[in-house]
Amino acid sequence: MNALAYAACVTLLCLLTSTAAAQDTAQDTAHDTSLDTAQNIAHDTSPVTSQDTARKAAYTGDIPVLIEEAQAAGIQHRYAGPWEYFVGGGVSTFDCNQDRLPDIYLAGGQAEAGLFINRSRTAGPLQFERSADTTLSLERVTGSYPLDIDNDGFQDLVILRVGENLLFRGGPDCRFSPANLSWNFDGGNAWSTAFSASFEADRHFPTLAIGNYVDRSAPGSPWGTCRANELHRPADTTERSTVPPDYSDPLPLSPGYCALSMLFTDWNKSGVDALRITNDRQYYRGGQEQLWQLDGGRYPRLFGSAEGWQPLVIWGMGIAEADLDADGYPEYALTSMGDTKLQVLDVRQAIEENRPSYEDMAWNRGATAHRPYTGDDLKPSTGWHAQFEDMNNDALLDLFITKGNVESMNDFARFDPDNLLLGTFDGSFSEQGLQSGVALNRRGRGASITDFNADGLLDIVVVNRGDNVSLFRNAGMAGPEGPRPGGNWLKIALVQNGANRNAIGARLSVKTGNHVQTRRLQVGGGHASGSAGFVHIGLGVGERATVRVQWPDGQWSAPFKLFANHHIIIERDRDTLIQWFPNATTQETVPAANPVSSPHTHGVAKHVSGN
Amino acid sequence: MKSTAACLITLTGLIAPTCIVPGWQVLAAELETNSQTNSQTATTADPETDTAAAHPSTGTAAPWIEKAVLHHVEANDFRGQLDKQALLQLIDSGKQLFNARFTRLDGAGRPMATQAIIPTKRKRASRSVFSRTAGLDANACASCHNVPVVGGAGDFAVNVFVSEGFEHTDFDSTDPQFSNERNTNHLFGAGLVELLAREMTRELRAERTRALAEARITGERVRIALSAKGVDYGTLLAYPDGRVDPTGIEGVDHDLVLRPFTHKGVMTSLRQFTINALNHHHGMQAEERFGARWTGQADHDEDGLPNEISAGDVSALVAWQASLAPPSEKHPVDTRWQDAAIAGRRHFDDAGCNACHLPYLPLTSLEFADPGPLDAAGTLRRGEASDAVYSLELLDWAARLKRDENGHYKIPLFGDLKRHVIADRQIASLGNELLSQRFVQRNVFMTTELWGVASTAPYGHRGDLTTLTDIIDAHGGEARASRDAWKAMTALQQNQLIAWLKTLVIEP
Repeated sequence: MNALAYAACVTLLCLLTSTAAAQDTAQDTAHDTSLDTAQNIAHDTSPVTSQDTARKAAYTGDIPVLIEEAQAAGIQHRYAGPWEYFVGGGVSTFDCNQDRLPDIYLAGGQAEAGLFINRSRTAGPLQFERSADTTLSLERVTGSYPLDIDNDGFQDLVILRVGENLLFRGGPDCRFSPANLSWNFDGGNAWSTAFSASFEADRHFPTLAIGNYVDRSAPGSPWGTCRANELHRPADTTERSTVPPDYSDPLPLSPGYCALSMLFTDWNKSGVDALRITNDRQYYRGGQEQLWQLDGGRYPRLFGSAEGWQPLVIWGMGIAEADLDADGYPEYALTSMGDTKLQVLDVRQAIEENRPSYEDMAWNRGATAHRPYTGDDLKPSTGWHAQFEDMNNDALLDLFITKGNVESMNDFARFDPDNLLLGTFDGSFSEQGLQSGVALNRRGRGASITDFNADGLLDIVVVNRGDNVSLFRNAGMAGPEGPRPGGNWLKIALVQNGANRNAIGARLSVKTGNHVQTRRLQVGGGHASGSAGFVHIGLGVGERATVRVQWPDGQWSAPFKLFANHHIIIERDRDTLIQWFPNATTQETVPAANPVSSPHTHGVAKHVSGN
Repeated sequence: MKSTAACLITLTGLIAPTCIVPGWQVLAAELETNSQTNSQTATTADPETDTAAAHPSTGTAAPWIEKAVLHHVEANDFRGQLDKQALLQLIDSGKQLFNARFTRLDGAGRPMATQAIIPTKRKRASRSVFSRTAGLDANACASCHNVPVVGGAGDFAVNVFVSEGFEHTDFDSTDPQFSNERNTNHLFGAGLVELLAREMTRELRAERTRALAEARITGERVRIALSAKGVDYGTLLAYPDGRVDPTGIEGVDHDLVLRPFTHKGVMTSLRQFTINALNHHHGMQAEERFGARWTGQADHDEDGLPNEISAGDVSALVAWQASLAPPSEKHPVDTRWQDAAIAGRRHFDDAGCNACHLPYLPLTSLEFADPGPLDAAGTLRRGEASDAVYSLELLDWAARLKRDENGHYKIPLFGDLKRHVIADRQIASLGNELLSQRFVQRNVFMTTELWGVASTAPYGHRGDLTTLTDIIDAHGGEARASRDAWKAMTALQQNQLIAWLKTLVIEP
């Protein structure tokens, strides 16, 4: 099927489909004036619209200045290809050369994927160098996720492809070696578009879940021919420290409904992950969103309506998780065509009956992001990657969503800029994409938000279909005289010995005053994009924070007392913390060789090196 | 009228919180006080808010207006390098604000905000505007900082009850489980103290940077002894990959920011402390911390008045405090006192008191940048707006500062800007608090600078020791050896040491 034919089919289906989600979108589109012209806003009298307008007008927080500098940074890379590559387009950000700065691995679709080594100076312009090692320069890559599978301290890479998925074992200095064979991993021949991983209890290696899209070989493809997903549990090993991972016995997760994102999540605060999958209604028949129970390593079982799971039918593209109210029960942003969902758990049902029942709060909180907020194109948006992070360090989570027409779908916006929804103090979100600089005319797909230049400000990389990646450097907060500093921040990395070196599944509780924020270390979600490294937390005006860690086995650490604006490494079973400083001279100016003398001098810094 | 006036005069020359008069008398009291204090505030009015009190013919504020702040200092008027005229003008505004007895029309009161330094809402409105425990506990900065003169220390009667302000925010008990009771510090020489702290922080951080650089070059771990201006701050261990183990750091926070203010040494700058105190003691909320940028509201405390203190107001208050002359060592006229003081100074050294109460610290520059280089978000930082720099050398007292052989200013603070354990099992009275403060344990305090000590009784962080003898006796912990040496002195030697301490005065 060529691109135009596909687009025509999609368009027709969009027009004929009559679901709650579609109605929502249509209604929203009809009455929403959130980003209409001033004239339209003035004429609109609906209470919701008034609130929405007021929300935008009233935004008083910091707006990050995001400067797109991919080309100047040395990155020239696009995601392209025929309709198999209308979806996907992921990116991994992780440190592959042990300098603790995130490097970038970009999917290329039909073209080669690329590994770019981070050469940025602290707080300086972003700078990357394409790796000369072509081991990872693979074709047909849709996305990737980093994690340390074999617990050797190096990040490995899971590469999703149209065709055989590949595991690569990471080594020092960004050296990777194929690991499918040595780890008994069958990469199959599916069209894979989603991934997540979790260290299940008592297993030395992570369980890998792979989401598949359309089965192109099935009769009638692509309609109603979604392929089953896969669960790769590691074999139980007795000599854990010496035996490599063994993924020789995968399980199908059937039915599959054309997954475009999946995420292991502790939805009910039980300490046991379930697998949340968002599916693309475009191709499934009788499908819906899914939540798989995996309790205790048992055979996976889907939550059904009898257990409180309410069917939700959307063009699911990406999942982002955050615990917005720090109650331990995560909320989920689900991107789609039209309105984004923001699912909030009915905690009472969860506690009393273990029922995963959710309410959508996107509209109430101004997070629907259902059509472009600027320009003349009033058609619904197409959302892909979603990620909660604190872009302005005000201690409130923001939501970044990549947007972009699938290819040439006429009923959806052509000019569809990425969203930057900044969290506000009343719990809602305020769209500041235009003001921040992310409103480019590109078709976004996967993305990753991380701090590339170790200045405490989060930067963004976005993979665009048919265009160069967008690399947004966060230059500070918009001020009357140029960028100015934002709120305080912390970046925290967790380390433990043995299995699960990076403490995937751990939860951070960060307290400043009475304000508590939580973060959970996860692998998965987004849109075909993952990241590893420091967890970033904005602290607002807090210059100190008390941090506790709930390690993956559920054990809580003692509180750590941390000063803001530092990189911190917390090692399990160690009472004290370790600081980390990037290799740069911009942090402090080294004074002249003759420091101020004093009659009380007991000598300047005395070296007792090497101990 | 007479009763009101008497009330004013009786209580340190300023209206005290307990001085309640009938409603009609408030206006009269204001009139009289305004007259007494020679118009503390400027006379320009904000016609938007002062209409009711505007002079019918000129539109300027009527003399009877019940406000202490008639106009806010515009930070943009004081940008860049300030000359002497601009500096003096800023200082004068700061002096007025320091003495201003804020009213509810200025924004005094924080019905829906706590005293916390991180903007924190109350769950319900406070039961009373004023409370000697949880605050508001003062009308003006000068209500407490007035011994021996405005800007000085405070009597036990004006102790403050320091609580983080996150839990039990309405505590109405002096029970130490709710707050730490603290005596008011003097502010003389505060600008120099902040400059010293900045330079020492820069030195410490540069040492860390050098250690990291060496570790990276050699590929080996590097442990260094940290010191700044001769004061030791323990050790740190740098790894070749950029990691630092701060476990060995002593007397300063792990971020190596030397925070010189408060008994505990937990405030970075005059600016930060000023913002905290304005909220805590007066319910006057500075826009740069409590404004819409960080709280989503211009009126965070919900008292009906937005943006109560401008960035310029804070700058003015900082300038006034930073410009206060350092205390001095006076030369008694009485020759017996002279001789005793000379001997007492020697005993001070012999007992090892000078190990922490360093006679002076060298300061390279008198250039005072406000905002300073070390503050974090919530206190204005450089690059946010209205950066100002002024030289304390413009002030008359600067000429009296001595210099060492390297040309550095000798700042005779008799302190080391370092925290120490000050109590032990036997000598425990200075470890009498139950609450740690901002990560600093309860028996650890910043070395009190002795300059001005003769003018600022009572002593101890609670102000519950009435004599110098008592406070010396109370030194335990790291100061135990010196205290024991003092106890081993003859009565004459002790007397001589006191004689010398009595020469360290604030002479306005």
